[in-house]
Amino acid sequence: MTLAALDEKVPEGTILAPDQKSEAMLRLLTCGSVDDGKSTLIGRLLWDAAGVTEDQRAAVMHASHARGVNGEKIDFSLLLDGLQAEREQGITIDIAWRYFETERRRFVIIDSPGHEQYTRNMATGASHADIAILLVDARHGVKRQTRRHAAICNLVGIKKVILAVNKMDQIDWSEEGYRAIEADFQKLAEKFSFAEITSIPVAALTGANVAARSAEMPWYSGPTLLDYLENVDPKTVAEDVPFRMPVQLVLRAADDFRGYAGTVTSGKITVGDRVVDARSGLGATLRRISTMSGDQPFATSGDAVTLVLDTDLDISRGAVLSEVKRRPVNADVIEARLVWLAETPFDPEAGYLLRSATDLTPVTSMSVSALVDFETLGSTPAHECNVNDIADCRILLGRATALDLFSELPFTGNFVLVNAIDGATVAGGVISWVQAGSAAADDVDENVLVLDRARLAGLCSDLGNSPADSTEFERRAQEVAILLRSAGVPVLIDTDQ
Amino acid sequence: MTVLTSHLKLLEAESIHIFREAAAQFRLPVLLYSIGKDSTVLLHLARKAFWPAKLPFPVLHVDTTWKFHDMIAFRDRTAKELGLDLIVHTNHDGLAKGINPFDHSPSVYTDIMKTQALRKALDDGGFDAAFGGARRDEEASRAKERVFSFRAPGHRWDPRLQRPEMWQLLNGRLGKDETVRIFPLSNWTEADVWRYITLEKLEVVPLYFAKERPVVERDGQLLLVDDERMRLKPGETPEMRKVRFRTLGCYPLSAAIESDAADLDAVVQETLTARVSERSGRLIDHDQDGAMEMKKREGYF
Repeated sequence: MTLAALDEKVPEGTILAPDQKSEAMLRLLTCGSVDDGKSTLIGRLLWDAAGVTEDQRAAVMHASHARGVNGEKIDFSLLLDGLQAEREQGITIDIAWRYFETERRRFVIIDSPGHEQYTRNMATGASHADIAILLVDARHGVKRQTRRHAAICNLVGIKKVILAVNKMDQIDWSEEGYRAIEADFQKLAEKFSFAEITSIPVAALTGANVAARSAEMPWYSGPTLLDYLENVDPKTVAEDVPFRMPVQLVLRAADDFRGYAGTVTSGKITVGDRVVDARSGLGATLRRISTMSGDQPFATSGDAVTLVLDTDLDISRGAVLSEVKRRPVNADVIEARLVWLAETPFDPEAGYLLRSATDLTPVTSMSVSALVDFETLGSTPAHECNVNDIADCRILLGRATALDLFSELPFTGNFVLVNAIDGATVAGGVISWVQAGSAAADDVDENVLVLDRARLAGLCSDLGNSPADSTEFERRAQEVAILLRSAGVPVLIDTDQ
Repeated sequence: MTVLTSHLKLLEAESIHIFREAAAQFRLPVLLYSIGKDSTVLLHLARKAFWPAKLPFPVLHVDTTWKFHDMIAFRDRTAKELGLDLIVHTNHDGLAKGINPFDHSPSVYTDIMKTQALRKALDDGGFDAAFGGARRDEEASRAKERVFSFRAPGHRWDPRLQRPEMWQLLNGRLGKDETVRIFPLSNWTEADVWRYITLEKLEVVPLYFAKERPVVERDGQLLLVDDERMRLKPGETPEMRKVRFRTLGCYPLSAAIESDAADLDAVVQETLTARVSERSGRLIDHDQDGAMEMKKREGYF
């Protein structure tokens, strides 16, 4: 066995020594309002936990003296703010990803901007995190932007939150001041579904309670930030969840090889199990799980695999393979909560596409019912939705697609909305309710134009019935649907032949 | 059989997921192959993503003609062994004008022979998407980049207008005349790359391993005298020293480090305990403050 492999080769069932880091890295978001000191806190954490190399240390020392904002002190934020505009303005514009290892664990810190203007970037960062550090300035307490960030963390599915009350040195290390903020946050967190909230008083600039215990706050007996991060269990996923694998591609190769390539988003599948295509309801038996490193006996959540079935289900990208018992809903109406990311407000007349796991479905109509009020964190009825708003909405899809509820299966229950014309990602959302599609075009309101094979016969005269042609038919139908919808014509696509 | 731990297995699966999402959504992708260790891992992951089918896209190398000779030999052997559809592109206008890394500053040389050459190669091929092996842990502006990194017409990157990228959902729908750079190794670190190379038994260019090589010391950096084109300054005589490289590029612009790490295990060990960051040996990054960001805005990888 090689030296490097000692750390990595772990036969199944092996019990690991405490210093062996075989587990996945902890993905940590830092967020909170502007000027509450996020970049400084993370810079400090990296500095103290040895995530900084000597040439980077020298560069930061040099730059701190040249243009730092803290007089002669080291400006830790320079470790994070990597764009010129950020350094010039002393603000964070986009998320920065920083990777480091301590004795105990691997981390990636996702440092996010505090400015309301860059909330879309914060939401991007949050959606990739296991745990969030929500920073609050001890002098100012919980602000509107703090509540917005907490609401976004909750929306994207983060379950564990650290409330870091920063700049404790500025309030003379006052326990009273700290407890008031802690209580304030606990109260507002009742609106959310966080599983665990841990609050820690810190001072990023002095390093108090970051990696080293603070002598100035003897009244605090909890863990330091680094202690907590090295020991927290990021897992919140339930044990027994149904199998899902959204199909990314159909792979064909010599010897009639035909496999469905995708990443297992939940559950487990074993060779010999029955699987179904959630959209058509057709079933097959799993014959092989094929990878370049050899066939595998089973695949679990997170594995990128290629499934070979005993019968051809005639499916393509966008289909979701599922276990037989607990299937996704083949839905054409959904209710969802989303965060609006585009500068241009929601426009009921615009052409949107719903990008779920691997499917792209045209939106027939969409309406907003309520917005989250960032003062009270309650909902207020609304029909409009602007940048950085969190909204509840109802979406009618142009055709049914396989979906789950986000609270049960996040990776088949989330989506982004795409502007059909320029491709921009305008919103990210989570599904809270689904309605099974009526599918049959007969039920459709007579004002709705149905795009089916017959109606598009001229445009698609070159297409046959192969899976590739069916995919192409659907693509053309979607493009036509976008044009018609932007001209105000309600449209449904029927792909059945 | 080697068992990857969950950490590397997750990184591998994530990269494969990205390759497949890109292949499904873009019309004509290409893989930027720069021959180094990251490209080696990138290519290996690409093959895994589509196996047993062949790579559904060509592989592009932008050759400045100043790469180490070992790199070119390795590139041609790899292409042959794996049956790659290899495209080699050189900026012949730049060559004809005599652009070289000795007479021109690193920024001018890189812009003409690498950035402009890359843009031309992508335009010529009509590629709408290009995979690169960049990692976020390499450099401050790279730490900010998305997995699908959209480029305005002219390949310009505007770091202030990056598309949101939520969860595992990669939206590949392009606006008019947009192209995209794709970074499947975004979340890998230098140590991850080496651990993976060890476990997957991947072959890399021999320059990564310490060996007695002819070098000159210039401004505190060790430069390899790779062929007769190396210009020596008065008083410089090549001497044999045991050196290796942490990153590979054009030989007059890539500094070696003194090292005894002659095999993979030793290299991994050295990497894990390194006190200096990887790109400190890249002379082109130090030309001016924010150098990498400026190159990226112009279309460099």
